[in-house]
Amino acid sequence: MRPRQKQLLYAGLTAILILIWIFYSADDLQTTAVLAGTVRAATLLALGAMCGMIGERSGVVNIGIEGQFLMSAFAAFTIASMTGSLFMGTLAGVGMGLIMGWLLAAMAVGLKVDQIIAGTVLNISALGLTSFFYDRSRSLGIGKYTNIDLGPLADLPLVGTVLFSRPPLTYLTMVLLVVVHIALFRSVWGMRTRAIGEHPGAADTVGIDVLKLRYFNVTIAGGLAGFGGSYLALEAVGTFSRAMSGGRGFLALAVMIFGRRTPFGAYAAALFFGFTTALQNQFQLNNTFDIPPQFVGMLPFVVTIVVVALSGLFGSMRDPAALGQSYEKG
Amino acid sequence: MTSTWRRFLALLMVFGLLTAACGSDSDSSSSSSSESASSSSAEEEEPAEEFKIGLVTDTGKVDDKAFNQSAWEGALSGAAQIEGATTDYIETEESKDYANNIQLFLDDGANVIITVGFGLGEATIEAAKANPDVLFIGVDQFQGEAIPNLAGLVFEEAKSGFLAGALAGMLTKSNIVGAVLGTDLVPPVVFFKEGWENGAKYTNPDVQTISTYHPGGLDVAFGDPEWGATTARQALDQGADIIFGAGGATGNGALIEVATEEGALCVGVDWDQWGTVPEAHPCLVTSAMKDIVKGVSDLLVAAKAGTLVGGNFLGDVDIAPYHDFESMVTDDMRATIEEVRAGLADGSINPMPE
Amino acid sequence: MAVVFGVLIGALLIVSQGGSPAEAYKALLVGGLGDSDAVLRTLQKATPLIFGGLAVAFAFKAGMFNIGGQGQLLVGAVFAAGVGFGIDGLPVVIHLPAALIVGAVAGALWGGIAGTLKATTGAHEVIVTIMLNFVAGNLTDWLAANPWKDNSGSNIVARTPLVENSATIPTIGAVPVGFLLAVAVSIACWLVLERTSYGFEVRSVGHNRHAAQYSGMKVGWIMSSTMAVSGMLAGLGGAVESLGVDGRFEAGVNVGLGFEGITIALLARANPLGVIPAALLVGLMEAGAARMQYKSDVAPELIDVIQALILFFVAAPIIIRWLLRMRHDNSEQLQLGAGWGKS
Repeated sequence: MRPRQKQLLYAGLTAILILIWIFYSADDLQTTAVLAGTVRAATLLALGAMCGMIGERSGVVNIGIEGQFLMSAFAAFTIASMTGSLFMGTLAGVGMGLIMGWLLAAMAVGLKVDQIIAGTVLNISALGLTSFFYDRSRSLGIGKYTNIDLGPLADLPLVGTVLFSRPPLTYLTMVLLVVVHIALFRSVWGMRTRAIGEHPGAADTVGIDVLKLRYFNVTIAGGLAGFGGSYLALEAVGTFSRAMSGGRGFLALAVMIFGRRTPFGAYAAALFFGFTTALQNQFQLNNTFDIPPQFVGMLPFVVTIVVVALSGLFGSMRDPAALGQSYEKG
Repeated sequence: MTSTWRRFLALLMVFGLLTAACGSDSDSSSSSSSESASSSSAEEEEPAEEFKIGLVTDTGKVDDKAFNQSAWEGALSGAAQIEGATTDYIETEESKDYANNIQLFLDDGANVIITVGFGLGEATIEAAKANPDVLFIGVDQFQGEAIPNLAGLVFEEAKSGFLAGALAGMLTKSNIVGAVLGTDLVPPVVFFKEGWENGAKYTNPDVQTISTYHPGGLDVAFGDPEWGATTARQALDQGADIIFGAGGATGNGALIEVATEEGALCVGVDWDQWGTVPEAHPCLVTSAMKDIVKGVSDLLVAAKAGTLVGGNFLGDVDIAPYHDFESMVTDDMRATIEEVRAGLADGSINPMPE
Repeated sequence: MAVVFGVLIGALLIVSQGGSPAEAYKALLVGGLGDSDAVLRTLQKATPLIFGGLAVAFAFKAGMFNIGGQGQLLVGAVFAAGVGFGIDGLPVVIHLPAALIVGAVAGALWGGIAGTLKATTGAHEVIVTIMLNFVAGNLTDWLAANPWKDNSGSNIVARTPLVENSATIPTIGAVPVGFLLAVAVSIACWLVLERTSYGFEVRSVGHNRHAAQYSGMKVGWIMSSTMAVSGMLAGLGGAVESLGVDGRFEAGVNVGLGFEGITIALLARANPLGVIPAALLVGLMEAGAARMQYKSDVAPELIDVIQALILFFVAAPIIIRWLLRMRHDNSEQLQLGAGWGKS
């Protein structure tokens, strides 16, 4: 980021912190509630965005995140209720995500099916198959993941509840943000990944196996989405229901682009989105303005459009150069 | 011919071939006149005269753990009391299919058709008018004018909401009660909410009621448990200690979230959700019910006996048993609930003053 | 061949659930084509799919992915209905086209917002259109439940009053005129894309944006206008749905139509004429699904699965050839997504 942008960023952050402090003094319960809701809503979006960005940085579009969330949530729920173990369920979700990632890779990279089609196939099949096989009588008898307090940190006012008293998968997501960031921008794998997304031809001449790396990346990216599905079923909600992903897979794409395909950027975008959602919930709970819920519900989306339009000033959001194109050796 | 046309024709051919090839084995005699499946069901022997019951759901599943499911259970229960009754259902995918789905049952010679949900109201009225010999039961369909062969099973949701709210007003220690609701586009949900809030205030004038409706459209409002859970959490963080979850899977998400909070209580909706959402056992003190099962069952029996009257039929509403929380509800509270019940029944208490 | 495989695997799934594929498919066909009523419903279901498919296909030709068809369809539907019921006393010759045009314009605006924001501020159109989908859903639901609500009789459903007869699209026998309109528009799209200079520019931009720019075409304008046209098509589809099939606008009733347009466009390989049979295919399956469910106890989601399978096989002819050991055919691989569109 250029120095001027950095300055603006710091200024913005400071402004936000001051605002939070003001609101907290005014009504601590509400402020805590809203901020906790923000972090909560952001987790799934961030995971989806990370899945998407690994693929896209490699040059493969993945619009099937929605389907991946849904199938993984279904797998996680089913296995968890069958085995009585949340851990097994979580693994199952990740596993399903890997499988679906592999399917996408097989279609898009191996068979050179158009990537949009491949993603759409994932989405449609996921919805159809999960509804088809959903065992209605099944329930998660063991209860979902609950908050884990991080010792004395959790007793801090505000930050304690919001950041240090969260369920396990949320913590894991935060850790993953760091891991993916380091992997993408500080490791050899990351360099190669970005290379095949920008100039696959050049990468090939240097000896990188473009197709194999894409295969690998898209598969493990699927694992991230699978983790998101596990989160959805086993931590956020605690059960499965038809079409429960509710469009969040698509939102994750928007978050990914908004966050410029970086983990921290995506998390910031996800937090922003989560904040507007929590805020409009709060407006309703307080009956702040007598506005119909539909209008209040538009808030997150309208604000996002405005911000995205304004942020054009911060430089364009460039796609990786080879995004969406199948790679042909030779 | 472009390849897509070719594909379309191929589809027709393949379906045709498949059905022709395999179809000739499973179908009964070649002299059967029509294509309808009544030929295959004729293989069953009927001891008594067959009484066909058909159920058409709203866009949702028979297993949605609430609305459509209870109507189906009512149908089964009623059918069990009728000799020679057969029941079948169609789950509607799109609301544009309502009329067609009803017609499928009509074509098959159904005696009674149950349609579930006010969305089907118009299609049911039209079908009833066009088929005066067939009886219709419309769940949650208020009849503006009475049609002789159509009984609308309606409920006063505000009353059971009021009862539940009254209980909540007494049970709350923080004096804040919350509600997480499906959508304000569906009037029964609004009635539940209004009743809930008024009931809480009736027994506890100092109580603060906070409620939210799902902000999205009808397509997601009842199927978004993640929002339900997040919003319930927000309400809990604000100090609410009893939460009413009313809105299909969305409401269920709220109930499950509240179950993770030590000491918080939750209230279900439509029927006793103790059985259908076991994840909520730690907090589910009661549910605001509308007895669809009994209503449908009773009407079916009446239909068979020929005593079904057109117009509106008022179903029962009440709150569910307290299960694990029996000890929490003191005798004083029970007495108050009895009073409120009586007051609602004789009209001295109005659950939804304008 | 793709269809054959999709159907066969569907049959396997049916068997796995204990059903009989023959019965199921027979019911499906009868449900979709068995009598004039069924044919009518198939065509009715195909109509919005044609428009949706055209919308997505048109954008694809310019190398853009219009994922906002759902929102564009909704605003087209609600505003057309608004004109339809709000004004009376007009002769059908004026009222009907006016309502349709209003719907089309609404959709065009909705799509145009994304296009213009992209051209002026660089705002990414995928983000904007996804957001606009949600906004449209909320807005139209609110309209149908409040200012434009039908408060006659004992109605409690969130919907507008019926549109006037002068704004209703008629049906000729078993053929809805809306379907004929869809076919006409589809032909028109093809003509515009293949035979006009505008269409040529659109396709050039889609093929190679930089070359197009280099040769002097105004790429920004092309991209914005394409999104607007795409939106217009989707909005028109919504309008036809309101005026021809529903007779009004009702909240929650047009769910998913816009997204199905994507599937249709993909099945048709982004060819405007191919959209018609693709839509008929899907429309047939959806029309017959209820009957299939009823007669053979097969869950209607199977239709979705079959659609996905067909789509998959359409896009991966290699698999079929490999399975059938057919000779390798060098026909072009379909390539639609060239990223999200650069800014």
